Amino acid sequence: MANTVIGSSIVIDGEISGDEDLVIQGTVKGKISVKESLIVDRSGVVEADIETQNVEVSGKVTGNINATDKVELKSDCRVIGDIKAPRILIADGASFKGNVDMDVKEP
Amino acid sequence: MAQSEQTGIIGKGITIRGNLTGGGDLVIEGRVEGQISLKNHLTIERNGHVEAEIRAEELTINGEASGNIDATSMVSISSSAKVAGDIKAPRVVIEDGAVFNGTIQMDVKLPDNI
Amino acid sequence: MANPKDSSISSGDSTVIGESIVINGKLTGDEDLTVRGRLEGELSLTKTLIVEASGVVKANVEVKNAVVSGAVVGNIDAGESVELTKEGRMVGDIRSPRVILVDGASLRGRIDMGEVKGERSEKGARPVRAVRSVPVPARPAARIGKSKLEGKPSPPPPPSESRSGAPVPPLVAAGSRRRVVVKKKAR
Repeated sequence: MANTVIGSSIVIDGEISGDEDLVIQGTVKGKISVKESLIVDRSGVVEADIETQNVEVSGKVTGNINATDKVELKSDCRVIGDIKAPRILIADGASFKGNVDMDVKEP
Repeated sequence: MAQSEQTGIIGKGITIRGNLTGGGDLVIEGRVEGQISLKNHLTIERNGHVEAEIRAEELTINGEASGNIDATSMVSISSSAKVAGDIKAPRVVIEDGAVFNGTIQMDVKLPDNI
Repeated sequence: MANPKDSSISSGDSTVIGESIVINGKLTGDEDLTVRGRLEGELSLTKTLIVEASGVVKANVEVKNAVVSGAVVGNIDAGESVELTKEGRMVGDIRSPRVILVDGASLRGRIDMGEVKGERSEKGARPVRAVRSVPVPARPAARIGKSKLEGKPSPPPPPSESRSGAPVPPLVAAGSRRRVVVKKKAR
């Protein structure tokens, strides 16, 4: 599976969509919708609503995250927004402010 | 001017003002002002200087040309050339170092989803 | 020294927009950018844009260098060079001091390379204008009350042709703008 890397000096103001994994080391403002994984690296700054399968955040995210599988907030990340995902991992050192909805289903 | 298969050459010291037509190839080392209409290959050499509307099958420009160009097969602008004008041809080649100012009309096939 | 055009491993970061990615908006950056997917909107880079065969850029582009092997609809303004390779297709205007069209490339638009390079001997030097050896038609250079003379070098008109009848003072220096004032000599 191909891998798109948005380098650290890149600033995108708009919408990103696609069927491949996305790694963000730069700045994205707007909307992100990728089929499988999104990784926000330490240098990454995202001011957007995110829709994907898996998200791993080591940088900054301001926006709502909607993941169909898992959201992982790593140490030293800063996330402000609502997270909706069946699985959520928040590491020690992560900074998070928002609502969490794990879509708890009745058996 | 040259008919059939002969190659005409307009030498370095020659200046022609007017209409040039012909069926053979033509090499211009001198100066031509006016209109050129050839059935075959026109070459403007390094020292050649053309200020004319050009119609030809194929055009190789190594010198100076200004005026509109209409070629039925190809226009090649080499690195020593200086060209100004509008070019209409199915194939156009511009070498690194060439100087060109003008428009190029080629047939561009774009993807459907553009 | 590495040619910016052919380094996919560039000195700094380098961004690759994969084939399935669509970006709609404004993109700016200080690194090389390779587009294999689709970019629509506006693009501004201080380095090199590479549009690969599968890439589609529908935007006005401002870059240092551009190498187009895919499709571009929009204008490219490049500080250094633009190359359309044999699979490159473009509809739009190109403004750049160096433009290369490889056989097979297709373009519909304007190319503006700007000043003709050959005439410049050094940076900023203006092309030297040959001094006219053709005699300028004699015109009374001095008119009563009026003074400005154009900056063209011209031979001073003989005093006898002066309209006012008063002797015309000789021109001070050829090629410079000068005021010529005719004073009627008291008789």
